[in-house]
Amino acid sequence: MSFQFDLDHIYAQIRTMKAAAENLARKGESFPALDKNTRRIMASIKMLEINICDLIELDD
Amino acid sequence: MADQPYWNPVLETLEPERIRQLQLKKFKRIFNWAFEKSKFHRSLYDKAGIKPEDIRSFDDIRRVPKVEKSMMRDIQRKAPFPYGDALCVPLEEVTEFRQTSGTTGQPVYQPDTWQDWEWWAECWAYILWAQGYRPRDRVFIPFGYNIFVAFWAGHYAAEKIGCEVIPGGVLDTKARILKIQELEATAMMATPTYVLGMAETARKMDLNPAKMTIAKITCAGECGACIPSTKQRIETSWGARVYDHAGATEIGAWSYECTAQPGGLHVNEALFLVEIEDIQTGEIITEPGRRGKMIITAFDRQAQPCIRFDSKDVIEWAEDPCPCGRSFRIIKGGVVGRADDITKVKGVLLAPSAIEEVVRGMDGLSDEYEVIVDKVGDVDQIKLRVEVMPGAQDQCQLIEGELNNQLRLKTNLRYDIEICGCDTLPRYEVKAKRFKDLRKGKKQN
Repeated sequence: MSFQFDLDHIYAQIRTMKAAAENLARKGESFPALDKNTRRIMASIKMLEINICDLIELDD
Repeated sequence: MADQPYWNPVLETLEPERIRQLQLKKFKRIFNWAFEKSKFHRSLYDKAGIKPEDIRSFDDIRRVPKVEKSMMRDIQRKAPFPYGDALCVPLEEVTEFRQTSGTTGQPVYQPDTWQDWEWWAECWAYILWAQGYRPRDRVFIPFGYNIFVAFWAGHYAAEKIGCEVIPGGVLDTKARILKIQELEATAMMATPTYVLGMAETARKMDLNPAKMTIAKITCAGECGACIPSTKQRIETSWGARVYDHAGATEIGAWSYECTAQPGGLHVNEALFLVEIEDIQTGEIITEPGRRGKMIITAFDRQAQPCIRFDSKDVIEWAEDPCPCGRSFRIIKGGVVGRADDITKVKGVLLAPSAIEEVVRGMDGLSDEYEVIVDKVGDVDQIKLRVEVMPGAQDQCQLIEGELNNQLRLKTNLRYDIEICGCDTLPRYEVKAKRFKDLRKGKKQN
């Protein structure tokens, strides 16, 4: 079945989001509101990886 | 977006060969994670002489030792308290505690990180979207939000989808029915036993559940919603479509029925690896039509991994693909029983779900029944107690004869049938215990 999704572009955007979230998490060591909210975002990004990135990276 | 039939249109329609490739890669990843992070798993794999680099094919996966529930109970006596040494993350990363119901022994504790909890909701999002849940739905959850995972993740998945969720937590059954009526809820989630009990209670309140606004019901926790006669009873009672789902505390929500109602459950093969093992020989069954017990791996669960867990659920692969277009394989008839429950009576293998299918398919009987297997002298005997509905009391002899015939055909066994008056058998709120084997502890043949 074919779909109209540009999976490579979506994949790149997820990677960008993950890098941004990891950067934020590193700055949250003594800033609980930043750290804990960023970690929740990272858990959601992980769900995007499970849904999309794992498949894209299958042939790596 | 509401017209999109799949939660994940890419993974749910992936070619089977690509799914297998994805599964192999993901199995290696979770195996490596457990090997590195969990003392329990490391010790298990060291004893079997298996390292991450040894896993190159599905044949290699079959060499990975299985994990039994009793092993998970045993590790809970070790540090760190209270989970033991299968824990793969520091304790401060654990955000959720749940435990198994303890139906088959001492409960097992299940730690989850916040990421695991997101994952639980993600598994359920696949289920609910496939069953037609959409943001316009108002979902009522008549469940006692507590230490059991039950419908917790269903709640969060419904929120994730964008539904409006009504937590029916501490309300009693009557109050829940009134709340459904008051708010015009369109969907609900509960065990088949409880859904049937709610319908009975509603009728006693002079309400007709079929005239209420519930249009779909997601069942879990028991086999019922995949047993055709039970499904039909629930659908008729509520005037709603009924969908099954199977999951477990230690595993996750691994399967779901879709709106095509194909007579079974799709395995979410992007998130889980399901293997079926012949109960007698241990051989892995890959062809349709042969029953065995499920060995399951959850690919993305972090805190306490589930790798080749021996669930003891009895399942079989279906022959035909589903008309819904999903490529995830179907297990025919859902979970048809548990390897622990399938018992020999007079030398014949008996699955309690087969009795339910016959009883619930009979007009004139209530939803309740009770099966008691005992030994009289050296001979096994099965007593089946059923309830006759008020309008059918003059047909008891006819019902008994028909029950005997159908049970004989379905199970190849003879029963001592007792027809009781309505409301005399025990009612259950959550998981029912209708099958009682009193031979346990007595000398077996």
